[in-house]
Amino acid sequence: MTIQSAPGHQTPAARPRSRRTELLEQRPVNLDGFVEEWPEVGMVAMDSPYDPKGGIRLENGTVVEMDGKAREDFDFLDRFIADHAIDAAAAVRAMALSPTEIAHLLVDPKVSRQEVLSVSCGLTPARLLEVVRTMNVVEMMMALQKMRARRTPANQAHSTSARDNPVQVAADAAEAGLRGFRELETTLGVVRYAPLVAIALQVGAQSGRPGVLTQCALEEATELELGMRGITGYAETISVYGTEQVFCDGDDTPWSKAFLASAYASRGIKMRFTSGTGSEVQMGNAEGKSMLYLEIRCILVAKGAGVQGLQNGSISCIGVPGAVPAGIRAVLAENLIASTVDLECASGNDQSFSHSDMRRTARLMPQLLPGTDFICSGFSAVPNYDNMFAGSNLDPEDFDDWNVIQRDLQVDGALRHVPEAEILAARDRAARALQGVFAYLGLAPISDKEIEAVTYAHGSKELPPRDVLEDLKSAQSVMDRGITGLDIVKGLDASGFPDVAEALLGVLRQRVSGDLLHTSAILTPELTTLSAVNDANDYAGPGTGYRPSGARWEEMKRLRHVVSARNPEQEVDR
Amino acid sequence: MGLVVGVDIGNSTTEACAADVAADGTVIYLAAALGRTTGVKGTTENVAGVADVVRRALAAAGPVAGRDPAGLHAVLVNEATPVISGLAMETISETIITESTMIGHNPDTPGGVGLGVGTTVAFSDLPACAPGGEVVCVVGAGVDFEDAAAGINAATARGVHVTGVIVRADDANLIANRLDRPAPVVDEVTLVDRVPLGMRAAVEVAEAGRTIKTLSDCYGIATVFRLDPEQTRMIAPVARALVGNRSAVVVRTPAGDVTGRRIPAGTLSLIGETVKRTVEVDAGADEIMAALRRVRPLADAVGEPGTHVGGMLARVRDTMARLTATPADAVRIQDVLAADTFVPQRVTGGLAGEFALENAVALAAMVRTTRGPMELLAARLRAELGADVLIGGVEADMALLGALTTPGAGLPLAILDLGGGSTDAALATGDGLVRSVHLAGAGDLVTSLIDSELGLDDLALAEDIKRSPLAKAESFFHLRMEDGTVRFFREPLPADAFARVVVLGDTGLRPIPTRHTVEKIRQVRRSAKRRVFVVNALRALEQVAPGGAVRNIGFVVVLGGSALDFEIPDMIAEALAEFGIVSGTGNVRGAQGPRNAVATGLVASHAATRARGD
Amino acid sequence: MTDTVAGARTLELREKGPAMPGRRSDEVVVGLSPAFGDFFSKTIVGVPHADVLRELLAGVEEQGMHARVVRFRASADLAAIAHAAARLSGSGIGVGILSRGTTMIHQKDLLRLSNLELFPQAPLLDLETFRLIGRNAARYAKGESPEPVPSRNDHMARPRWQAKAALLHIKETEFVRPGAEPVELDVLIRTAG
Repeated sequence: MTIQSAPGHQTPAARPRSRRTELLEQRPVNLDGFVEEWPEVGMVAMDSPYDPKGGIRLENGTVVEMDGKAREDFDFLDRFIADHAIDAAAAVRAMALSPTEIAHLLVDPKVSRQEVLSVSCGLTPARLLEVVRTMNVVEMMMALQKMRARRTPANQAHSTSARDNPVQVAADAAEAGLRGFRELETTLGVVRYAPLVAIALQVGAQSGRPGVLTQCALEEATELELGMRGITGYAETISVYGTEQVFCDGDDTPWSKAFLASAYASRGIKMRFTSGTGSEVQMGNAEGKSMLYLEIRCILVAKGAGVQGLQNGSISCIGVPGAVPAGIRAVLAENLIASTVDLECASGNDQSFSHSDMRRTARLMPQLLPGTDFICSGFSAVPNYDNMFAGSNLDPEDFDDWNVIQRDLQVDGALRHVPEAEILAARDRAARALQGVFAYLGLAPISDKEIEAVTYAHGSKELPPRDVLEDLKSAQSVMDRGITGLDIVKGLDASGFPDVAEALLGVLRQRVSGDLLHTSAILTPELTTLSAVNDANDYAGPGTGYRPSGARWEEMKRLRHVVSARNPEQEVDR
Repeated sequence: MGLVVGVDIGNSTTEACAADVAADGTVIYLAAALGRTTGVKGTTENVAGVADVVRRALAAAGPVAGRDPAGLHAVLVNEATPVISGLAMETISETIITESTMIGHNPDTPGGVGLGVGTTVAFSDLPACAPGGEVVCVVGAGVDFEDAAAGINAATARGVHVTGVIVRADDANLIANRLDRPAPVVDEVTLVDRVPLGMRAAVEVAEAGRTIKTLSDCYGIATVFRLDPEQTRMIAPVARALVGNRSAVVVRTPAGDVTGRRIPAGTLSLIGETVKRTVEVDAGADEIMAALRRVRPLADAVGEPGTHVGGMLARVRDTMARLTATPADAVRIQDVLAADTFVPQRVTGGLAGEFALENAVALAAMVRTTRGPMELLAARLRAELGADVLIGGVEADMALLGALTTPGAGLPLAILDLGGGSTDAALATGDGLVRSVHLAGAGDLVTSLIDSELGLDDLALAEDIKRSPLAKAESFFHLRMEDGTVRFFREPLPADAFARVVVLGDTGLRPIPTRHTVEKIRQVRRSAKRRVFVVNALRALEQVAPGGAVRNIGFVVVLGGSALDFEIPDMIAEALAEFGIVSGTGNVRGAQGPRNAVATGLVASHAATRARGD
Repeated sequence: MTDTVAGARTLELREKGPAMPGRRSDEVVVGLSPAFGDFFSKTIVGVPHADVLRELLAGVEEQGMHARVVRFRASADLAAIAHAAARLSGSGIGVGILSRGTTMIHQKDLLRLSNLELFPQAPLLDLETFRLIGRNAARYAKGESPEPVPSRNDHMARPRWQAKAALLHIKETEFVRPGAEPVELDVLIRTAG
């Protein structure tokens, strides 16, 4: 007979058990994994005795020693950071301050964001770590509230399909736009589908609400090409790592990533890097440093490469910091440091994190309450089974909870409740616009039956299957024929969607002005840029900074079911 | 001099031919271009695709002054008419095993060798068997192979003759390797619980590379079970079903049988101009095509509602109705092509997920109309290109003119245009009369046959198999091609190609994720092409040939996308050779191959008109 | 802690000496990571190594092929182990397995970073899958074209197993002895009474 031990937490047989323990054992949180710290190998969030002490020595404006390491012993990350990320002119004064003094600057609302930046630009990785180590999560949230680059918070969603169905991606993109997301991200199961799905995302996004920026996560060369052609609007999945070994395993260096960044900038395309705690220890190459120390090195590589922003907050490695003590505090710290060095921060909350709804929510609060540039760098706008980024911390079933939490706390999570009729109309219209564009470009046809199905569907399981052969041929022809964003504009116009064409043209025009290269830039539905330049965060304590008010607050008050005060027998009309 | 561009809007590709036409009709051909047709042929959706190829043809023509759209004298467009085609398939046979009388699924790795006969006994009942008896042991789910072997060895030690073993898991060799007394073992019998117990049964396994001898032969089974002639007659279908297997089990039960059944697949009504015939779809392709010949010319066809064929014909009709804004009942199906095919289907009553190749009929249908919105298309093109747009000539006439530029071709000339949805033919005898015909069934039907016969369920892969030759990646550094030759590589082949049959497509190797051999896939591919293209070539030529005699045609030029196929033109040439016809792939203007015939014909026709001065 | 349950199997791996390149074209080499069946006794989800190895070997045997088991101490990198196993194998086909259960089928002519089949989600690998992996490795060795073992995916595997996987990987790496030669093993799998 085969005896196979049950996976996970075992219960020794025959010993009597507390009924309460049994109930607790059944709680979803006990399906999550937790591990003990092991600082020697880097399995520790942010408090490790093996992280270096902050310090700097300069000669003739060049960093000759950083965090206890002499220049000749620098690895390539040290060198890149020392030469490109640290402002030597500010370093001496900044490094003379103690970590606690710097932490006070961060938390104290009377100290302006600009004053903090004049210090933070001269700090070394180890010193930045020492600063956040003096702070608890409430202090970090206070600091993040001030240090976030853009005054108005925003949110990003994933719009993908388990079957790479472009009609679904378009409809879900439109709904996501309507619900308030200002950036949308997609990726593929079958990579050859990419051009079609990227077009679908773009068309759907602009039909939902003008000015939503879109991207398609792919292998770097193809992602760049789609961006240059104007089929996508920005890029995000350019990963950097905190140790030389892990960088090298990906055949990359900070310089190669900086080169890629300049390729995007040359076309006026918005772009940010991606990194996060836990990736190095996950690959067994943490060099005995804490997860947060290595992540700070990533943040400074992004800064040194001159990109406007960073997606961080552990991202796809969230299971690692999530399993160690103070891991989620470290995740907040990495978001805070990205903001503190004046980068746009798309702050995670984008990967399946916990079996427990309570823990999922708690993990979200440190970004939601202070507000970040993008609270989720991927709220799944499709059911998690359709999420080709392997599932998010939030999916459409959480829309109403999110709206209620925003209203309860009067905190702007950048989403809103939208009546069903409006959503159905937007989904239908996006699918029709895509039908028109595909017909205009001679791509695989979209039937009225598909449009009908996608309008009412929740996920890909409810949709009629597409002719994959025709779709893939079409996808190839998009690449072969050199179709660009302008062709999509023409297609939208020709098929009776001049307003959507106008919106997309407006987005494309941005690459000429280059406004989207500003830190934390998004487009409003009126197609004006909102960034750290013209919408700088001016938080300076109570009564200042961004607070939901006026029309936005009225919008946030709406929910699916609210009893009318005038006639308590009815609900407020939704 | 006048710069003109001839444009052929086809079902799937749009082709252009740029030329300078002098007042005296002299033509200098400058360039050709090819693009995908946008939307359904002959509708305003084509504008984008046409504009694209015209611009590319002009760009390719070179930077000579005046050769931009502004200096363009005219764009010549064929009278393109929308063509809609559809495909459907009906399975028409079914195999049924009753009383679990046989197991013939042919597992990859049966164990032991030889024939064992005995009474079926469940593994758990083995200890209760009396010594001296001959038993076939049935090992159910969840029994470990070591335990199974130990149990059988224990019985053997007690004097029970375990002559054969039937197993649920993929364990045959694992058990056979551990038996003290060898016995044949048949495994992977998924529904092993349904094997009748207490019945006389025979288990046979042949050596690797050989097939069973006894259970695939009626007299072999008769000998094993001591059957009389009447019983032997009854068992014959079982023996037949097991031919070619490496292993099998036959259980003798009171009413055990293997039967084949026809599945009613509804009727197809073929309406001719004078007669109407109704044919049962399950009668097969030959019957359907014979009926079609008897009603020709076909005026319309209707399938029984609720069947695949009925649904497909209705769909084709509806699509055309919508495109041309005609009522659906005014749209007529112009041709159908039936082809016999087979589909791997699970055998009803099988214990081990046996598959049988069941018969099926594939049907293609097409409708075309003369009511394309050509004037509207021309107006849109005029606006888009800023040049004069002339609708010129019937497609078939133009194609013939173009085909005649093939070096060596002469009159009477027939063209065969092998497309994706339809096969077209036209004949010019030289007296100014042109006869043309449009038939259902072409490349898409071939793809569909390949897909179903190989059980791929992946049309993209079937399409690749149709287009390109096969090979097997015997190592990372060489491929054995389907013709037996070997190609070596310096760089290793992709990992997913290793040990697989691959298609050598334009974009590289594509592994075929099935266990079919190269030979099997090749045979299916070639047979599908024969059943569609050769059949349709003959059917088409018969209908345009003077007096209906194919023999009276002198030259046949094969055109269209499928003419670029690596074997179809040869197959057609071979089939036509017996009629003494010269047949080959077109080479328009001695340079364009089978492409660009209509576009070239448009230019030639325009030039001739100019020369005549009218 | 290792509980010995009655009926459970025990695994004994006896070192026979340096592993040499094989000559038999009907063999598959199964390469074990440094701590497989040694410091570690089960996979990340607690499947005993004794049963894992038994199923891999049964999968090979059922195809009428022969398996040889070799311990690789020089690396805890799955691709390195699987590729080294393939290079020792007379058929050119090797299977590599890490203590946590992650498994790969490799071929000697492939680049090390490539593979024939990879099973990265160790938490989802059960005994049935290990049998199929052994079967497919043997089929490649026979020159057949097996359908790849279906891969499974579970997006909730991350919160549950990601950190433990990292710990297991780091721990296994501690047993690496750079430059150590591969050792051929005798495998004894017994049922505890």
